[in-house]
Amino acid sequence: MLELRGVAKSFGGLMAVYGLDLHVRNGEIVGLIGPNGAGKTTVFNLITGFLKPSRGKILFHDEDITGKSPHVLARKGIVRTFQGNLCFPEFTVLENLLVASNLTAPYLMASIFRVPSSRKKEKSIKERAFDLLEFVGLSNMAHLPARSLSHGHKRVLGIAMALASRPKVLLLDEPLSGMNAREVSETVELLRKIWERGITILLIEHNMRATMGLCERVVVLNFGKKIAEGAPEEIRENPEVMKAYLGERRDVPRD
Amino acid sequence: MSRRYIPFLLFCCLVLLLPFFLRGAYHIHILILTMMNVILTASLRLILLSGQMSLAHGGMLTVGAYTSALLVLKASFPFWLAFIMAGLFAFFLAWLVGYPFMRIRGIYFSIVTIFFSEMTVLLAQQWEGLTGGSGGIYNIPRPDSVHLFGVKVLDFSSRTGFYYLLALIMLATLLVLHLLEDSRFGLTLKAIRQADILCESFGVDTTLYRVLSFAIGSFFAGIMGSFYSHYVTAITPEAFGFLFTVYILIYMIVGGEKSPLGPIVGAAFLTLLPELLRPLKSFTPFVYAGILLAIVYFLPEGLSGLILKWTERLGRGHA
Repeated sequence: MLELRGVAKSFGGLMAVYGLDLHVRNGEIVGLIGPNGAGKTTVFNLITGFLKPSRGKILFHDEDITGKSPHVLARKGIVRTFQGNLCFPEFTVLENLLVASNLTAPYLMASIFRVPSSRKKEKSIKERAFDLLEFVGLSNMAHLPARSLSHGHKRVLGIAMALASRPKVLLLDEPLSGMNAREVSETVELLRKIWERGITILLIEHNMRATMGLCERVVVLNFGKKIAEGAPEEIRENPEVMKAYLGERRDVPRD
Repeated sequence: MSRRYIPFLLFCCLVLLLPFFLRGAYHIHILILTMMNVILTASLRLILLSGQMSLAHGGMLTVGAYTSALLVLKASFPFWLAFIMAGLFAFFLAWLVGYPFMRIRGIYFSIVTIFFSEMTVLLAQQWEGLTGGSGGIYNIPRPDSVHLFGVKVLDFSSRTGFYYLLALIMLATLLVLHLLEDSRFGLTLKAIRQADILCESFGVDTTLYRVLSFAIGSFFAGIMGSFYSHYVTAITPEAFGFLFTVYILIYMIVGGEKSPLGPIVGAAFLTLLPELLRPLKSFTPFVYAGILLAIVYFLPEGLSGLILKWTERLGRGHA
């Protein structure tokens, strides 16, 4: 469904991503791991249109989507979350979801002049937003301002907002960072439920236990290159991967 | 009709009854300027909702004033058509320059819009064949009087006629701007201001929304330019220079930009204040600067923030 062919990105002289090939199949849950600075977030930015690749092609359902703007890709169903707590802090949790499940231009005039059909639409969007809050477990916070949420809840809100914009493939950028153990296990369960609903997931995460437990397939990046790809068990045993994370074993000469 | 429209209805009554108490032509003139400033400030606030501070309002006024005057004088359009055309022309001009302008963010956007305003002044001065150069345009006809069922309803030989025309325009403008802000369009603009890349990631065409708010806001500046030129019956290139735009900005900050009440309070307060302080009138820029500083330090949410806090406290006292 999502395919990267020889995608490269350089910032000035620095190559952030070297000719990356990646294929995510429909309904899969794939982990993208690698040490800090490996280029994982850059890959996300390339897929979602926030950056344009220097070389290579990106395909979605066999359609070339290279270089399209983020909002066009989001409407096609490629939706991401961000590192850090990105939300609309001055809005309530519910309003955050309403903006995320946005109505596109044709509804704009109707919504301004409040014709009956738009009212109906508005109502169904609100119901859907409440359903989503129920699904992620934030329904009792619907009317709180988003800025008053705890770190963990803000991260979950970010996921709920991404879901509100009807993704086909969801790209999650470190959804578990900064969470305590209980929040991690709850969020892992949430991600599993999302995946079981048929949404394809591409996941960046530093929490190895969670990634290995969730993902069917893991891709490892280092210095912008794919150094390994396979089932979690294979990745765990892969000497290249160990080297990338822990460095090379070198016997210290003794004398 | 829900209860929250009651303050607005009271405001309508006040505006429509005011000329019965203030009969002097000069008083009416000041009230007309006040209402113009309210419209300009309220429409500038719509642009700011998306987080972009436009200083092109003065330029859009000049554009609207010249468009309308030239259409009436050179193409013998009736005033009403020229009035709408002035607004639409400002709208399309804003749409046209909006796309390149919106690639620039924050203070840099504001600087580019200053250049736009200055460009319109230069153009009006230099394009003598069309605009009459720095002398401006004189003898712009007043609007034709309005007849309904054979009865003369509005007559523009006196200032009162202009007052009522502008009062209706202002009330309609405030209503439209409120509906816009209260709709999903307004919600999305406010979301864009808080986190635009997040909006992009949900499929919101943030550039389109920003350009739209810029164009809609400029529409109102355009029609005000038209109104002004037919009210004063003359227009000069410098009528709406940089300082004028900055004044609109000051009205908004003093009134408070968070609430739709802000532009009304700010523009009314600062337009009427110099009249109450007649001996200080030549020091107006100093007075404005002092008030601006005081507001920024002590009332960051502006005068409207203070009023809303008081009414809230009153409401709680009753409950």
